[in-house]
Amino acid sequence: MKVALFIPCYVQALYPEVAEASQRLLEQLGVEVDVPRRQTCCGQPMANAGFEEKAAGLATHFETIFSGYDYVVGPSASCVAFVRGHYDRLLGADRPQRCESEGRVYEICEFVHDVLKPQKLNVSFPHKVSLQNSCHGVRLMHLSAASELRVPYYNKLRDLLSLVDDIEVVEPERRDECCGFGGMFAIEETEVSACMGLDKVKRHIATGAEYIVGADCSCLMHQGGIIDREKLPIKTLHLVQILAGGAGQQKGGAL
Amino acid sequence: MDSREYILNSIRRHTTERYDKPDLSPLEAEAITYDDPVAQFTAAMKQQGGRVVLLQPGQTVGAAIAAAFPDARRTVLAVRDLPGADELPGEVTFADDIPEARDINGADLGVAEGLMGVCENGAVWIEQSVKHRAVYLLPEALVFIVRRDALVNNMHEAYNRLGDRAPHFGAFISGPSKTADIEQALVFGAHGARDVTVLLV
Amino acid sequence: MSRHAQLAAKFQSNKAQAAWHDETLWMVREKRDRMSEAVPEWEHLRDAASALKLYSNSHLEELLLQFEENAKKNGAIVHWAKDDKEYRQIILDILQRHGVHHFIKSKSMLSEECELDPFLLKHDIDVVESDLGERILQLMGKRPSHIVMPAIHIKKEEIGELFVHEMGTEPGNNDQTYLTHAARRNLRQKFLNAEAAMTGANFAVASTGECVVCTNEGNADLGMAMPKVQITAFGIDKIVPDRRALGVFTRLLARSATGQPSTTYTSHNRCPHPGGEYHIIIVDNGRSRLLADPVHRRVLNCLRCGACMNTCPVYRRSGGYSYSYFIPGPIGINLGMLADAHRYYDNVSACSLCHSCQNVCPAKVDLADQIYAWRQKLQRYGVADSTKHAMSVGMQVLMEHPSWFNAALRFAPLVNKMPRFLLYNKLNGWGKHHEMPKFKKPYKF
Repeated sequence: MKVALFIPCYVQALYPEVAEASQRLLEQLGVEVDVPRRQTCCGQPMANAGFEEKAAGLATHFETIFSGYDYVVGPSASCVAFVRGHYDRLLGADRPQRCESEGRVYEICEFVHDVLKPQKLNVSFPHKVSLQNSCHGVRLMHLSAASELRVPYYNKLRDLLSLVDDIEVVEPERRDECCGFGGMFAIEETEVSACMGLDKVKRHIATGAEYIVGADCSCLMHQGGIIDREKLPIKTLHLVQILAGGAGQQKGGAL
Repeated sequence: MDSREYILNSIRRHTTERYDKPDLSPLEAEAITYDDPVAQFTAAMKQQGGRVVLLQPGQTVGAAIAAAFPDARRTVLAVRDLPGADELPGEVTFADDIPEARDINGADLGVAEGLMGVCENGAVWIEQSVKHRAVYLLPEALVFIVRRDALVNNMHEAYNRLGDRAPHFGAFISGPSKTADIEQALVFGAHGARDVTVLLV
Repeated sequence: MSRHAQLAAKFQSNKAQAAWHDETLWMVREKRDRMSEAVPEWEHLRDAASALKLYSNSHLEELLLQFEENAKKNGAIVHWAKDDKEYRQIILDILQRHGVHHFIKSKSMLSEECELDPFLLKHDIDVVESDLGERILQLMGKRPSHIVMPAIHIKKEEIGELFVHEMGTEPGNNDQTYLTHAARRNLRQKFLNAEAAMTGANFAVASTGECVVCTNEGNADLGMAMPKVQITAFGIDKIVPDRRALGVFTRLLARSATGQPSTTYTSHNRCPHPGGEYHIIIVDNGRSRLLADPVHRRVLNCLRCGACMNTCPVYRRSGGYSYSYFIPGPIGINLGMLADAHRYYDNVSACSLCHSCQNVCPAKVDLADQIYAWRQKLQRYGVADSTKHAMSVGMQVLMEHPSWFNAALRFAPLVNKMPRFLLYNKLNGWGKHHEMPKFKKPYKF
């Protein structure tokens, strides 16, 4: 199986340790991973702000550099959801075949859960963690049951963490309420966004967890920035950092 | 062109895609049902702020209502020939004997027949059977007399049973009038009856 | 910063009130969750509601004509109003013909949309809103901030003070039950004295020609119970084919709106009172042209239940008055854009694209997807936000050149060493409430 690692632009700039953990995790699970060097950004930030046409070139670029792989796997539910939900349209209606990335791009937790299906991981994380069920992970990628829908409860993130020894996993009140990042929403609607973020962090803290853990670095970046500003007693981690082992040495809120 | 034609033309011009009418049968077939309709209806009424009274063997309807409202001074009936009407306390008037609808204002109790009770939400279907519709709205308290075999599980059953039956006015009434418009605090007795009792017979 | 963002910041400046607003509306969302949990077939109900609306709104000509024919058979008088002006005039004509001065009406989003009340007051008709929340706002001269809980933003102390003057309550008594019952007594006289009554409609049933209204207070129902002149007005999107369809909608409406299994009253108005007149006004006011818009036509599915507001994390934290259109929240953002994009585009920023709204919507309006679509159009209207545009252009240029991006990554850690005043200033919206994330040495693969 040919697998490419898709490292979203801001992960590469701000959270290279998440990129590193992603590669390590996949390799530990026996997958050979390629990381195409010329990858940059999927285009979601511009599109969500209302400038979809500025993402079209990036969609073409993405389609090219990730062609020939069976799976394209990235540690960001939001970016993956954007590729899945919008690329076929962005690439233009006049093409003979559908967008290829759309069908093979996976969020890394989803990929491990649905495709690799490991039975054990041999890692220990003796801490209490609170799940960050991100909006796009829940409502666009269906990584867990959305609280609004009357479907049986499931949570792929929780399933994966159940393979980790010594960990305690909880979810906050309002388990999948938005944390208020929303890309440029955080910059345009600063007050509401910050209020949403602080509310979210406080609900994570109220669980007694030491870490906020999720599959979207963007939510974690937003909450991490607030944690550091308000000097709050909780830290953030991407799920792959726990699954790959060796996490928890980092200091500070921002991952 | 008059407005009717203008609107219909605009609708014709802009309707570019037509969707089929969905078949509701599978949904209606899987809709919730209850093993004990009386218990469920009673619970739903309670949830909506009303109550259910069961007619006891040998008891007349009038006696049951009198037991529930011993202090009623003025009762308006929307039912003719109520069994045991003479057992009701206070002044009792048949609605059609009241000249103006507004004269019903101030009545302590209104008594009407409920043609159906819905278990999922405690709603009772009433159809206007007297000249003043206000009898279902103005009295301080209401009693609906509902037959036990007129309980249905859910709103699908309710509307299917009604078909296109066409009273001048009909309504589902589920418990007392209520509002939460001041700081979301629930208060009974907004404009309609403050108290709704269903007498299951 | 959009106008919505500015007004939201103002709402947020009263932290205690903003927190109350958020928590109270979240409570309603939770009630809705509990109610829907009691209905195992809930998701199928939503599917059916959506399918029924798509059917009805794509067969409007046939259904409206069927409705008209049946309504006439019932003895009603049917009017057609192509816009708000005609709607207002038809109502005024009816009232003037009957010499009506005391006019009682129940809450109707259509009458808000068409600005009926100020028009009638100007023509010397004493229009009284009978819904408690609406009456409070009418007496205060304020507009609703939520479509189902119109006075959710008003504190009981303000209402207590208002009622001292308007309803003769005792000063300082702000108990909700006391105030509600004072309003009951006060409005009861208005009901008894009204010469004409009016309601909107939640559903207009083609197969029977009846108008169905759902309330908890019983105000629409009591209002219509007595006066000889009755009026019901509804938008063309309120048509449903038959009573069987009502089975679907009535199961969803109150559960979604307020977390109740049913509204207290579901009234079916069909015939005039003996010797009276029942006028029914069918209103277009821009709705029919939406039928041709494949991206936005699903807004016509909307039942006006308000569930999207209760779940919206932005609405709960910014309040109804932060939106410039009279309907706030996710559905209001969309309806405002459809009504007049140049006037209401500033609400489009009020969304983090969390998609919760379209999951709670009982008729499955794709609210967030439509907001996303509107954002793509702002540039064409020439009203796109310049900061966001500049950032998007900057990102595009950088990201389309992988070698520049990689070079930028290598130098980015230098930013971490910049003095605080260069990083945290008013040009940096992020830095107001967040510490900046630290740029790190890029991952070498």
